[in-house]
Amino acid sequence: MTPAVLISDLCKTYRGGTVAVKDLSMRIEPGDFFGFLGPNGAGKSTTIHCMTGIAEPTSGKIEIFGIDAVKDYREARRLVGLSPQEFNVDVFATTTQIIDWMGGYFGMDSALRKRRVDELIERFELGPHANKRFRELSGGLKRRVILARALVHDPELLILDEPTAGVDVELRRDLWRYLQELNRDGKTILLTSHYLEEVERLCRTIAIIDGGKIVREGPKEDFLRGDGLEAAYLAATGAEPDHIAAGAAA
Amino acid sequence: MTDIAAHLPAKRMGINWIGLWTIIRREMSRLMRVPTQAFIAPWISALMFIFVFGYVVGTRISTIGGHRYIQFVLPGILMLNIINASFLQASSQIYFQRFMRYIEEALVAPLSYVEMIVGLLAMTVVRSVVTGIGILLIGMAFGATALSNFAEFLFWIVAVSVIFGLLGIIIGLWAKNFEQLTMLNIFFITPLSFVGGVFNTVKMLPPMVRWIAWGNPFFYFINGIRHSMIGFTEAPELLGAGLTILMGVILSLLVWRLFAIGYGLRE
Repeated sequence: MTPAVLISDLCKTYRGGTVAVKDLSMRIEPGDFFGFLGPNGAGKSTTIHCMTGIAEPTSGKIEIFGIDAVKDYREARRLVGLSPQEFNVDVFATTTQIIDWMGGYFGMDSALRKRRVDELIERFELGPHANKRFRELSGGLKRRVILARALVHDPELLILDEPTAGVDVELRRDLWRYLQELNRDGKTILLTSHYLEEVERLCRTIAIIDGGKIVREGPKEDFLRGDGLEAAYLAATGAEPDHIAAGAAA
Repeated sequence: MTDIAAHLPAKRMGINWIGLWTIIRREMSRLMRVPTQAFIAPWISALMFIFVFGYVVGTRISTIGGHRYIQFVLPGILMLNIINASFLQASSQIYFQRFMRYIEEALVAPLSYVEMIVGLLAMTVVRSVVTGIGILLIGMAFGATALSNFAEFLFWIVAVSVIFGLLGIIIGLWAKNFEQLTMLNIFFITPLSFVGGVFNTVKMLPPMVRWIAWGNPFFYFINGIRHSMIGFTEAPELLGAGLTILMGVILSLLVWRLFAIGYGLRE
């Protein structure tokens, strides 16, 4: 079966010489809920940016559902929705405009856009804020707008870069339910998060990146054996679990 | 394939017309947040020029080629406004998208580089045409100008706004801060436009420095629009039009290349 994402030997070196990703290879099966973990600066966002066209890979190959994401980037982009870590929006635009414009960029006609924008506004309970400017919204509402924007064209692959950062407990749990629904409907989801509880609850496959390389990858169950995901994560990234660090300090 | 995905453009996409139109209507929405700055300011500025050169200073200056001084000056004023409007529109459009990072919305969408460039230029041309026609109508209302050839007038507005739109895109991609965004305007556009024959003919210049005017592209832009409005010319219009089209082609290729390599756009 054609993988949803196939990354082979991806390298990304920024101008100035910073190596963000080196020889990264990764495969995500269609329909998977894939957790992509790593410390800050490990290369998670850079990998996502290379997949979505925000960054130019230095070398290597990225395929989205078998389509080359660099050479045939327009075809590949149709299949991907991105909710980035940082708010990359026109802060003077309204909620409706932000979602509608994104639908327009994806070639959705006005009737389809209207239907979809209404659906998403209702789904994310943005009705009272539909005509408010982005800058007037609270952090949680902003995050909902960004998610709705990522979903407007109903992408086959949804990439969520820390989607619940700064979000209250209620919204986080509501979002989890929604993501599980989407995944049940066949959507492939790539999730990065620093909340291990979130990853443990949602994901079926986990990869840990550190220093620009995948240091461990496998089914969630493999990570849960022994001392659990946190211990596996700390071991993979070379950090010491609390009890070991505490013991060493004593 | 989901319901919505089935409605998206076919896998092998041709032109993403809806995407292109979205770039335009989005920028239109941004522009309509500052209508005074975009349209009213150049119209008021033109009115002031008409007052000063038409009724205060102009009456003391002899005619040029049989035209009153205000009739001679106004096409140049109009062209300066077109140049400013198109450069500001394109440079601020791309710079703000980069600065606030919402350029990423277009980068992650199935839009080609050409669609992105055409979308940026389309609003630049719209703003310039509205500005230019507004100044023309104000000038005509006060008897300060005429229109001898509308097609030629439109050609010059569109061609010059495309050229300065492209230059604006290059500067908008290059600029790292607001200071850099204004540099081309301060050191290139304003000086060259003032010595490009807005206020004087080439014959008025000392013979030693006339070559500066002949080598100055702004001279051909101003001469061209002046010819379309009052029929006065100092250079063959076809030469000016040819040079202008050549500049447009070279700048288009350069901008396309910058988009293709992701200069200033992608990390």
